[in-house]
Amino acid sequence: MYIPDYYEFGCPVNIVAGHDSLEKTADILAVPGSSQPMLLTDKGVRQAGLADIVLDAVKDRLDIKCVEDGVPPDSDLKVVRQLAQLYNQKGCDSIIAVGGGSVLDTAKGINMLVSEKTDDLMQFTGAGALKRKLRPLIAVPTTAGTGSEVTIAAVIADHEKNRKMIFGSHFLLPDAALIDSRMTLTLPAHIRAATAMDAMAHAVEACVMLSKNPLSDAHAKEAIRRIMKHLLPLIAEPENKEGRLSLALAAALAGIAFSNSLVGMVHALGHSVGSVCHVPHGNCMAILLSYGLEYNFHKTEERIADILFSLAGPEIYAKTPKSQPAQKSIDCIRKLNRDLFQATKGLHATCLKDLKDREQHPMVPKEKLPEIAQTALGDGMVFYNPEDVDYEDWLMVLEAAWEGVPLDRTKVRKG
Amino acid sequence: MEGFIEIRPRRRFFLRLYLHIMLRVLGRAIQAAARVDEDVKKEFNAMPENYTFSLGAFPAGPCMIIGKDTQGIVRYMGSDMEKQPVHLKITLKSVRHFFSLLTFTESTPVSNARNRMIVSGDVPYACAAVRIMDIVQVYLLPRWMAKMAIKRYPRWTFKRHTVDRAKVLIRTLLGF
Repeated sequence: MYIPDYYEFGCPVNIVAGHDSLEKTADILAVPGSSQPMLLTDKGVRQAGLADIVLDAVKDRLDIKCVEDGVPPDSDLKVVRQLAQLYNQKGCDSIIAVGGGSVLDTAKGINMLVSEKTDDLMQFTGAGALKRKLRPLIAVPTTAGTGSEVTIAAVIADHEKNRKMIFGSHFLLPDAALIDSRMTLTLPAHIRAATAMDAMAHAVEACVMLSKNPLSDAHAKEAIRRIMKHLLPLIAEPENKEGRLSLALAAALAGIAFSNSLVGMVHALGHSVGSVCHVPHGNCMAILLSYGLEYNFHKTEERIADILFSLAGPEIYAKTPKSQPAQKSIDCIRKLNRDLFQATKGLHATCLKDLKDREQHPMVPKEKLPEIAQTALGDGMVFYNPEDVDYEDWLMVLEAAWEGVPLDRTKVRKG
Repeated sequence: MEGFIEIRPRRRFFLRLYLHIMLRVLGRAIQAAARVDEDVKKEFNAMPENYTFSLGAFPAGPCMIIGKDTQGIVRYMGSDMEKQPVHLKITLKSVRHFFSLLTFTESTPVSNARNRMIVSGDVPYACAAVRIMDIVQVYLLPRWMAKMAIKRYPRWTFKRHTVDRAKVLIRTLLGF
């Protein structure tokens, strides 16, 4: 087992998980003395009635100052500024964020602005720029994937620069994460698949990248095991609330893992595909994960092999020849993607060229690949990737992922 | 407070002296590489005019500042953080961590992975600054040592390894 000379691990988030955990909201906010929260969500979540479940759970105990559902799927700096102004105008003292990654990260952005009393979010980009605790924030995830409810990171787009800005600080951790099985009941199958693959990417990258450590490994491997066990059955039977809770917990475990060991080139490339072509993050992760492992294979074979037990279970692990477990891990991830493609009736794309928008237009035209590669050069997650990646490397990986063919590992340059 | 004894960290004179010398060499080498190396030029061209970045140790340890002026000329600007605004700060959390980094006992990626650094400023420019420093380390260090400092030793042309390296070293030595 790999034990680094030095590592850090922590997760001070109060995680409340169950089939009725939302009922704890008011008690949790009472601890820091908050009683006038802003409830932040998006239109899809509100239309699905999920915000109402939260409102019902807190109606007699909290004075919700405003319910704001204006968070777009790909929230940006402008939206964060506008919502922070609203927070101040309404006299809110905390945030309850109910939604997927965009809502939770937007809430973190708003919290930075209102706590630091500024309207310039850019001063907090990078790692460790925040210096003190922010105002209370409760995260209620409605997808089982982002893990943002337990992570030190927020990713917020800058649409003017076509770039996703990364904010990393322990002060961005929410005060509490309420994981409630009711919140993921209405998730459409293809979104369930994509978001769970986002969690899978968090867990797998946490096990493979430079900051990995035994504690993050333990969380990540349990997350992988739960995703493999519950994801496909849940696509067919979303009413299974134990399965939903387990998958939501897997997302949180993966979030804790990657919040401590961080992620690498899969996320760097995913952020860039997302910012240039506006592809949902989960879809990018599902497609790119196996390519990231192939690219780093020569430096991380042992680490990739180490996750096979969680991915495939003890029988397949035992049957796999000693020389092949790393390749088998990659094959397992590709197979899961293919199975999800079948289970979602083709809505879960397995390569970049198959990604389509609502009007069935390709989302990632091949001529955009150079721009994506250029953007990836500026993504901070690449710091944590074991192998160096330059423009030609990014392009090589993107071209393989666009076509949906395995990466030719002989072409990966080694130092 | 009466009776309170403030404990000050030891100054670690030789460690700081080493860091000051290394930072001066690194700063001048970056200035030199910006005039010689096409990849370094390209990285600086992507930065805005009057852009400055620093590499230093928290809280007030040794540091160096690199800046690009309005004409696009890259200069090593010493270490006085009060003199000019610094747009991007790459700060090691302690002098000891900085020493490990600049003695190449801990590579830049490992130092970052171990949460030794604080990056304040635009991340894309921080990525560019790290790439610049990687290239400069390849110019300055023998192959075996550079391999400890960076992730992948680059496959450069013979000219870049010899002629360009000589130019960078001479310019670093003479400071132009």
